[in-house]
Amino acid sequence: MALLYGLLWRLLLLLVHVNRVLVSWLRVRLRSMKGRLWERAVAALLLPLALAGFPDQQKKLNHANPDANGNPVTGSRAAGRRARWLSDGRALDKLPVHIGLLVAEEELSYTDTANLVVWCMAVGISYVSVYDQHGIFQKNNSRMLEEIVRQQQDLLGVDGSKYSVEVLNNGSDKQQQNVLSCRPAVKLLCPDDGKQSIVAAAQQLCRSVEKRERSSKDISVTMLDSLLRESKNVPDPELVVKFGPVDSTLGFLPWHIRLTEFMSLPSHRGVSYDDLLGVLQRYSSCQQRLGQ
Amino acid sequence: MSWIREGELNLLEKISANILKAGPMPKHVAFIMDGNRRFARKKQMGRQEGHMQGFNKLAETLRWCKHLNIQEVTVYAFSIENFKRTKDEVDGLMELAKQKFEKLLEERDNLEKHGVCIRVLGDLNMLPVDLQRIIAKAVVTTQSHNKCFLNVCFAYTSRYEITNAVREMAWGVEEGLIKASDVSEALLSECLYSNNSPNPDLLIRTSGEVRLSDFLLWQTSHSCLVFQSVLWPEYSFWNLCEAILQFQLNHKSIQKARDLHREHQASQQLEADRACVAELLQHHGNGKPADAQRRQEALLHHTACREERIHDFLEALKHKRDSFFNDLTSEAAVA
Repeated sequence: MALLYGLLWRLLLLLVHVNRVLVSWLRVRLRSMKGRLWERAVAALLLPLALAGFPDQQKKLNHANPDANGNPVTGSRAAGRRARWLSDGRALDKLPVHIGLLVAEEELSYTDTANLVVWCMAVGISYVSVYDQHGIFQKNNSRMLEEIVRQQQDLLGVDGSKYSVEVLNNGSDKQQQNVLSCRPAVKLLCPDDGKQSIVAAAQQLCRSVEKRERSSKDISVTMLDSLLRESKNVPDPELVVKFGPVDSTLGFLPWHIRLTEFMSLPSHRGVSYDDLLGVLQRYSSCQQRLGQ
Repeated sequence: MSWIREGELNLLEKISANILKAGPMPKHVAFIMDGNRRFARKKQMGRQEGHMQGFNKLAETLRWCKHLNIQEVTVYAFSIENFKRTKDEVDGLMELAKQKFEKLLEERDNLEKHGVCIRVLGDLNMLPVDLQRIIAKAVVTTQSHNKCFLNVCFAYTSRYEITNAVREMAWGVEEGLIKASDVSEALLSECLYSNNSPNPDLLIRTSGEVRLSDFLLWQTSHSCLVFQSVLWPEYSFWNLCEAILQFQLNHKSIQKARDLHREHQASQQLEADRACVAELLQHHGNGKPADAQRRQEALLHHTACREERIHDFLEALKHKRDSFFNDLTSEAAVA
């Protein structure tokens, strides 16, 4: 009997995988195919079949946009794009000030991630945090920075230097942290920025208690929060976009995500501007009651 | 209505449960039971009634979990942020909680029969004293039960919980029980309200919201997160199965991530111990570099002492927490 249930379980998992493959294949096909009939047919097929994990983009069937993805451009095309992206951002009811890009995939693509960063900034988001669970982006931050600059030039044209990027490393380049400017900033994060930072802050407080500089009763949420906030200007991420099939935060900044909205895209590889815009549109329509 | 629902699953439910149980099952599931007020609006009933229905659904869900061999359930019943609601609603929720915990005490024998241990996690001194007393009684009455565990987060937010854990460690330092260098991720976990439970394998939030709202942020860093659009009072056995299936699909990758994190934690602890020992040897070494054997001995000694300190500190913390509940129950007896 147990054997039978085991087999049935494996069959169930197989069906779910087949469904997922089908759905992602259809999504790719749809991007290159225009036509209302196709959309309606597929939407009818997808809706009952889709298993909701992190709510993802199956219901949003955006039209293909040949301009949005990286093609080396002439100046006017880039300017047009830039203007369009900025107006897309302005058209949204709300835009996150700080967005998190959580890449929960084993194979990382610097180009696609750089694209995402450039799009986020072009749309008007001030702070972009990029996270992967092995901290690979952070370890290779110079390569990441190069890639972001390259994509900026490709997508936004030569004039893209207006959106100059500061890659904030964990306090190691303190002089790069320009707290007063409102230029967009990119931060590359790793798991140690999460729980380990909280532990480091706790150690700091305990050491000051050891030295009788303060009492344990003085320790408050605001005190801990200010230690964990690198700069007063950087708010908690309002939105985290997760890329990949794993339904977990994988250690991403536990302290900072208390009110963060989580949205999911299937993969960061081959991601398009429209995918990102879809997520931002969904974010702009969500309501936060903040306990009330 | 009762906390404990008796009753078997129907045939179809039983078959589905058996199919799911052929795969890896979560041992600890956490629920953010969201959607009571929207449900009330939808059915044109009062908010209080919506919360009542929410409670009934909780009891129902516990029955399903029992049949699915899910031993531990944690629920987010009342956030510290919820104190911002209107006085009427807050008072209504406090009254509902009081009634439910009183009912719990009436069902004491049934709870013993099923071996249900109830824990209440949160900054309980924010609650009215009479509610604190009833909660304390419920916790103390069921604390020796060990077949299944229900953790109710009441007057809780994760940030307050983490801050409290840091405060407790600072208290330990103040009392001379531990040193500041003993502070680690593992020790912080042991100082949380949830220290008696393993981390949740699966976190489910209903009503379509896709945020954590300050719930178990530390404990769910490597849990499977499932967001479902159904409103909590309308939650069904099939919704639960869907969530468990999602957990099973993610199981391997999450397990891998967890193991990676654990390894990383262990190596960080070793590094921290080595750094402490190096500093110690420098102080006592008169400038002469210590040989490898001496370093190793010192490391083992340091680690053993650290573990002993931590053990004593955690005992003291447990005693402090138990006293909090015992004092309240003895007050209740006198009152």
